[in-house]
Amino acid sequence: MPMLEDEIRRLMADETAGLQAASDLAERVVRSSRVKRRRTWTAAVAASVAVVAATPVAYLTVGSVATTGAQVTASVAPEPPPIDDVPALPSDPPDFGDLGDGKEFGHVKVGYLPERLRWSHWSVDYGDTYSTSYDYKGDKDGFYCVQIYMYEEAAVQEVVDRIQGYRDEGDGEEVTIGDRTGYLVVQHVGEDGMKGTPTLFLRMGEKQWAEIMFSPTYAKEFSGPEAVTAELKKIAEGLTSTV
Amino acid sequence: MSGVEHDFSAFVAARATSLLRVAYLACGDQTEAEDVLQTALERTYRNWDRVHHETLEPYVRRVIVNAAISRARRRAILSIIPMHSPPERSAHATDTDLRHVLMEALRALPPRQRAVIVLRYWEDLSETQTAEVLGCAVGTVKSQASKAMAKLRSALGRETVEGVIRNAHA
Repeated sequence: MPMLEDEIRRLMADETAGLQAASDLAERVVRSSRVKRRRTWTAAVAASVAVVAATPVAYLTVGSVATTGAQVTASVAPEPPPIDDVPALPSDPPDFGDLGDGKEFGHVKVGYLPERLRWSHWSVDYGDTYSTSYDYKGDKDGFYCVQIYMYEEAAVQEVVDRIQGYRDEGDGEEVTIGDRTGYLVVQHVGEDGMKGTPTLFLRMGEKQWAEIMFSPTYAKEFSGPEAVTAELKKIAEGLTSTV
Repeated sequence: MSGVEHDFSAFVAARATSLLRVAYLACGDQTEAEDVLQTALERTYRNWDRVHHETLEPYVRRVIVNAAISRARRRAILSIIPMHSPPERSAHATDTDLRHVLMEALRALPPRQRAVIVLRYWEDLSETQTAEVLGCAVGTVKSQASKAMAKLRSALGRETVEGVIRNAHA
């Protein structure tokens, strides 16, 4: 073993020996995630209240005193809970429930899927990010073949940043899907033996992006990367926004 | 506490310090390393249902390394990283001095070369595994490692390193 490599290892070990992760790190991460979700939820409630408040609905209260929706709903918006008083999340993440054939969810319609794929009956719905997947069996616990992750409103920035990171690395390429733009890249998200996940990011609007992913295992069933890319582009072409 | 929270907390308790060390070496700065680690863990927590648990740690490590590379590159756009000059040090340089020189030299490396060094010589990943983490060819890892080691060798100075080792053995 060359001496320099050994010395670098030893110096790195000495340099990092005093580092210790904070004991409350997991708690902070969970809390931060809750707060972000809570903000999304509160923003969604505030938006819906604003819509209701703008509608001149008459409410009849006890004593038959009529008042307007604007007056009543002004107090409907819940106060954001104190940071240490956020209610516990349920064990299972929120989902869309029964989506039928799974070709319409959130604010998007799926116009094309590769042959034999069915909705997996799995979905998650965090408000401005949501997702569902498709596989052969329609089995919630099965492994996905194609997954579509949607990003809307503020969450769009996350995907824009990620694409910029790939651009900076010289990884992936810009693509055009009809009159829409996108980015094609093989991502590494630590699954399927780390073979990489062929992905197409599609800009569906200023505040809406789709991330279309092929499972690495499923991708092996195609003749090669070109065939996978062709399928990703077909799925992207078939995606329409319902915003 | 939900099942997900419990599993996640157990993972963090077991691996966070090790991951923090990777983040520190990849970033070259403790505050930034802590920030990168927390961001990576938040992303992991959000994607908990998508990441296979047997590949959890490689996943987090990949997020950390790529985040460190991305941040360093963005920073480089805003300010030119000064090139490090090889130090003039005697053979009696202390370990603390050498660690300082090593960290300075690591910080001066292009981010991808720095990541290769951390993954190869700190995480003890093979060239193939390093290529998988960075999403590049094995040949790229070899060439990046070679260039990085040449710079570190120049910065640390073989004579200095060997001198310290001689002193330690004396």
